[in-house]
This record gives sequence, structure tokens and C-alpha cells, in this order.
Amino acid sequence: MDFWYALVAGLIIGAIFGFILQRGRFCMNSAFRDIILLKEFKLAKAVAVSLVVLMVGFAIFALSGVIGLTPKPFKPWSAIVGGLVFGVGMVLAAGCASGTTYRVGEGMMGSFVAALGLTAGALWTGFGILDTAKDILQSVTVGTKLTLFGELSALTPWFMLIVGIVGIVLMLVFWSLPTIRRKVKAKEPLIKFENFKESTFKKGYPWWVTGILIGLILTAGYIVSKGVVGITGGWMDISLWFTSTDSVMWAGFIIIGLIFGSFISALISGEFKFRVPKEGFTLVKQFLGGLLMGFGAVTAMGCNITNILGGVPQLSIHSIITGACIMFGAWIAAFFLFSMWKKDK
Amino acid sequence: MVDITETLDCTGEVCPYPDVKSKRKVKKMNSGEVLEILVDYPLSAERIPETMESLGHEVISVEKKGTSAWTILVKIK
Repeated sequence: MDFWYALVAGLIIGAIFGFILQRGRFCMNSAFRDIILLKEFKLAKAVAVSLVVLMVGFAIFALSGVIGLTPKPFKPWSAIVGGLVFGVGMVLAAGCASGTTYRVGEGMMGSFVAALGLTAGALWTGFGILDTAKDILQSVTVGTKLTLFGELSALTPWFMLIVGIVGIVLMLVFWSLPTIRRKVKAKEPLIKFENFKESTFKKGYPWWVTGILIGLILTAGYIVSKGVVGITGGWMDISLWFTSTDSVMWAGFIIIGLIFGSFISALISGEFKFRVPKEGFTLVKQFLGGLLMGFGAVTAMGCNITNILGGVPQLSIHSIITGACIMFGAWIAAFFLFSMWKKDK
Repeated sequence: MVDITETLDCTGEVCPYPDVKSKRKVKKMNSGEVLEILVDYPLSAERIPETMESLGHEVISVEKKGTSAWTILVKIK
């Protein structure tokens, strides 16, 4: 890819993505963990909404020949082990790959430390001491580009379209209708337009707005970059730029744009502040969590964004299993971390 | 002016600690008491009031005090 194209497109897509992440407080760590920890489903719903939007979005552009689909080859061990390790890591790091990155833009030093851990873990697994472990886990492959409905074929986008539309209809019926009914009954306006500026730039977005926007920007990202947007690769890209003669490319500019977008968003809404966790141990925990995420992401061939928001919409078996294991790993970690923590308080 | 019974300082803490801590705190408090929660984490500032309301407590106020700092007052049911 041409350098200038990568620079401009990466920064723009990254900045918009970062802005939405910060406004929507979109983090899969919170989304998955809080299902069991706080019985709170809003962010999980946002993830679900973004998934169906991405399915329909990817399908439309694949059918019109603008993009080619790239589901990952199914490597069962890499998906299971990588996913679980990533899930445990993100709870320790207090943020998934994207959540950690946008919080750097909010001025949270703990997340910056977690991002350093993520980069180091990813580099060690990709090229360093953990290289062999990753190769062993990735050595078993089932099929070539296995999706939920068999190998990737000309029919795959149609399946994506059907699953996406069915998903949208189900969400409208079960999640939107009750709210709409209640509002009509109470004679409230369905959408309040009067303070558009305030709600766009100052307030946190409702879950469904976040979901739709994330779906749209990542669809745009796929078209522009001719592939899924990733986070972990971006951090690796930036660090290689420091340590080698490689120049920063698309993935790295996404990260720089993302942090900038989140910073601007936090600044406008008065939410930017340098924050350091009170206990030093939290920083150690976040760094360790980052390391685990880096190992998990490289082993599973993608972090939560690449696999869950890139692979799952393409119905990739590898990504679906990785995603499920990330969620499961987060639950295991949350259970042990917070039930133990509860006892000593 | 409301009488504040207890203050829970969650500044500098990332999610989900403020949420979990405040949820546990109100469980130990008595009816009619007022808890003041200090947070500097945006997500928690939005979510704690929602959680408190869903638990049936009365959210007296959510006040933004400067950059990324909120004070939440909750009256225990």
C-alpha cells in the first residue's frame, strides 16, 4: 500500500473510530465481563448491534465486488488457547485491545502501561521467545477458509446477509419494540433532536447508536484497507518503526489516529485527565494483562477487533471460536479476581 | 442541603472497581442514609446512577466537578 494513502486513510479512519469508541465507552472487556459481574448488558448489546451491521455491510460490498472476504483458516488450538489467554489478559489489563488504546487517549496511564505490555507480548510471540509455542498451537489447521456454512464460496456473502438481517429483525423485535411501545404510551418523542450538538459531542452514546456507528466505521475501514482493521498489529507496527528501518504503515496509523480521535473526544466533553491508578500494583497487573493479550492475539491470529468485529461477521469458524473463548476467559478471570477480592474487603 | 452519611472515593480507579465498590457499599448501608461517590472514570459516572436506580435507590444528583470528575449522591431506599 502506498505510504501517503496509508497515512491519510489510516489517520482518518482511526480518528473517527477512536472518537466513537470514547463516546460509546465501547470496550469488549466491560461488555463481556459485566454480563456476569454486574448483570449489565448495554455494551454487550452494542457489540451485537455492531456485528449485524458489519455482516450486512461486508455482505453488500462483497456481493458488489468492492471487497474480497478473508475469513481466517480454522486453527482450533490457536483459537481456543489464544482466545482464553486473551480473555484473561483483558480483565487484568482493564481493557481489551481497542478499549486499552482509546483509554490512552483519555489520559489513563494504566492503559498506556497495558498497551506497552500488549506490544511486548505480541512481539515476543510473533518473533521472539514465545515464537515456538505459537507455532505449535497454530500447526493444526482444519479446512482452508472454513465458515459457519462450509468453505468460503460465492454463497458466503448471501449467508452473511441473511444472518445479519435476521439478527437485525430479532433485535428490533426484542430490544427496540418494548422501548418504542413504552415511549408511545407515555407520549414521549421517540428521538430527541433538540440538543443534537450536546448529545453528539458531550454525552456518552446510547448502546444502539454506538453499535451502528462502530459497524459503519469498520465497514469503511475494511473497504479502505482491503482487509480487517486490527489493533495489536498496529502497536507492533509502531514499535517496529522505532526499532527497525520499517516505516509505519496502515495498521500503525490506525492506532495513532485512534488515540488522537479519542483524545479530541475526551477533550471536548471534558473527560481528558492524566490518571494514574492509586496502587502501584494495579500497574503491574495491567502490564501483565497486556502481555497475556499480546500472546493471545498473535496466537489466535487477531485481537478482539480483528476476530470478533472482523472475522465473526464473515462467519469464520476460527473467529467465532476465538470470540467465544475470549468471552469465556474474561468470565473465568472476573470470577476469580472479583470473588477473591470480595472476601478480603 | 443533604446530610452525607458516607463518602466513597473511587478516583483513579478503572472499571469495574467503582461500579462494584459502590454496589457493595450500598448493600451495607441503612435505609435513608446518603452515600457520596467520587469518580473520575466516565463510564462509571454514567453507569453507577443507572445501577443505583435499578437497585431501587434514589439518585439525588450527579454533578460534574471539573474535568472528568463527578460526584454522585445516592439515598438508600
